[in-house]
Amino acid sequence: MASIELDQVTIEFPIYNARGRSLTGELFRRTVGGLIQSDKSSSYVSVVALRDINLKLTDGDRLGLIGHNGAGKTTLLRVLAGVYEPLSGRAQINGTVASLTDITMGMDFEKTGYENIMMRGVFLGLEPKEMRRMIPEIEAFTELGEFLTLPLRTYSSGMLLRLAFAVTTAVIPEVLIMDELIGAGDAAFVVKATARLNEMISNSHILVIASHDVETIRRLCTKAALLQTGRIVRVGPVEEVISAYLTPNATTAAS
Amino acid sequence: MTPVSHEPMEELLDRPKMRDQLVAASVDLGRGLARWRLWWLLGVGDIRQRYQRSWVGQFWITLSMLVTIVALGVVYSYLFHMSLREYLPSLTLGMIGWALISSMVTEACTVFTGAGNYLQQVPLPKTMFVHRMLVRNLVTFAHNVTIVPLLYLAFGIAPGWPALLVLIGLAIVTLNGFWIGLLLGMLGARFRDMPQMIASLMQIAFFVTPVMWRQDQLAPGVSWLVDINPLANLLRLVRDPLLGHVPTLLAYVMGIALMVVGFSVTLPFFARFRARIPYWL
Repeated sequence: MASIELDQVTIEFPIYNARGRSLTGELFRRTVGGLIQSDKSSSYVSVVALRDINLKLTDGDRLGLIGHNGAGKTTLLRVLAGVYEPLSGRAQINGTVASLTDITMGMDFEKTGYENIMMRGVFLGLEPKEMRRMIPEIEAFTELGEFLTLPLRTYSSGMLLRLAFAVTTAVIPEVLIMDELIGAGDAAFVVKATARLNEMISNSHILVIASHDVETIRRLCTKAALLQTGRIVRVGPVEEVISAYLTPNATTAAS
Repeated sequence: MTPVSHEPMEELLDRPKMRDQLVAASVDLGRGLARWRLWWLLGVGDIRQRYQRSWVGQFWITLSMLVTIVALGVVYSYLFHMSLREYLPSLTLGMIGWALISSMVTEACTVFTGAGNYLQQVPLPKTMFVHRMLVRNLVTFAHNVTIVPLLYLAFGIAPGWPALLVLIGLAIVTLNGFWIGLLLGMLGARFRDMPQMIASLMQIAFFVTPVMWRQDQLAPGVSWLVDINPLANLLRLVRDPLLGHVPTLLAYVMGIALMVVGFSVTLPFFARFRARIPYWL
């Protein structure tokens, strides 16, 4: 049983080294990004990446996040992953969470493929025993053969991706978080990877994926949320939110 | 875009959340320890990565220490009109001990900035990265300490049972290293000029701490300056046992006092700012 509850979550990033506060403020105000706030009485400048986010997800929910660059999608994913603990508001995330945002995280290029597989297991908090049990499956999936005994620096980028993909998808979490769909490698591998990913998605209890690709959201999600300058301006059935996203005027009216 | 009324963050922080923060900090400490396998691997991995594919591997640590000690030993024994037999043992152990203490302090500043790629991806306990830094430095120390038997052989020193006290010394140094790593790690994430500042301070500390010279070379009137130097006291706890002396009671008192004061400053600070570390990265 997994659940996510965000209650009035606001995420604000302090900017300490913004000397030309007014200049940067002007530069960013009308382009991409969150709200840049400045308190005139002090030298305090911050970017409000998320504001008053309320969100409730339970088992079976597949949520797609859409919005322009800088709307707060990645920040929201990181809140859900437990990386940013909100300084204002409350976030409660129950269940094991895996974030497929940087699948090569923690990989050591001087270590061999096998050592990296074990290392990832340690990252996930698994016993070496449990991880060793997964090795045959990872071996088969990556088709890297003897290369697994060589350091990662000898790998091509495609090979590295195969390994990273295989170890990342080896353990299925309750809450799966993705920033764009991860795709990998040559034609033959793409088929395999897609199948594996779909299996992972359908076996996870909750999925949250941010994507610019409307088709991905349509295919994978049961509901969607549209983010605009750090706020959820619309949440609901996928088609409804997508059409709001594609017709900019409608979203302004909704906010 | 409509202007939004805005509360400065400091006010948001002042809400009575202290209890929650303390609980979260304790949970972090507990989970940090529980992830020993991860920080052990990361710490040892740091060393391995630094020296991989080099000819003698991580024994460069030992080798460069040996070269430094021999060079300094020869030059300064002349300068101080001391024989090598008299000078080299205390220099060697002083250098090895100092290397441990000073690199713990300087690397403390980058405990969190060096872990940005992890801390921005996964919610790992923050204290884990302090342990990683401590492991890295203790492993380095273990490499340097292999010089000590050579020293004993060369000068026919038998340190006897006081040598065992080095373990207590290391424990006190490591515990102090923990609060220093946590405190400076947070400050280093927030203020990016910390590493440079601490590095220069440690440079100065090297000269005012009896590493290359000995306390008995000072005029009797100023020798108390060494007694109140916390780094000198930590150094005594590691160096003196390996020279076959029992460290003074003062050294233990100072080492433990530093620990108590350090923890009581750092823990509330950590409770308050723990959640903000990823925001600073």
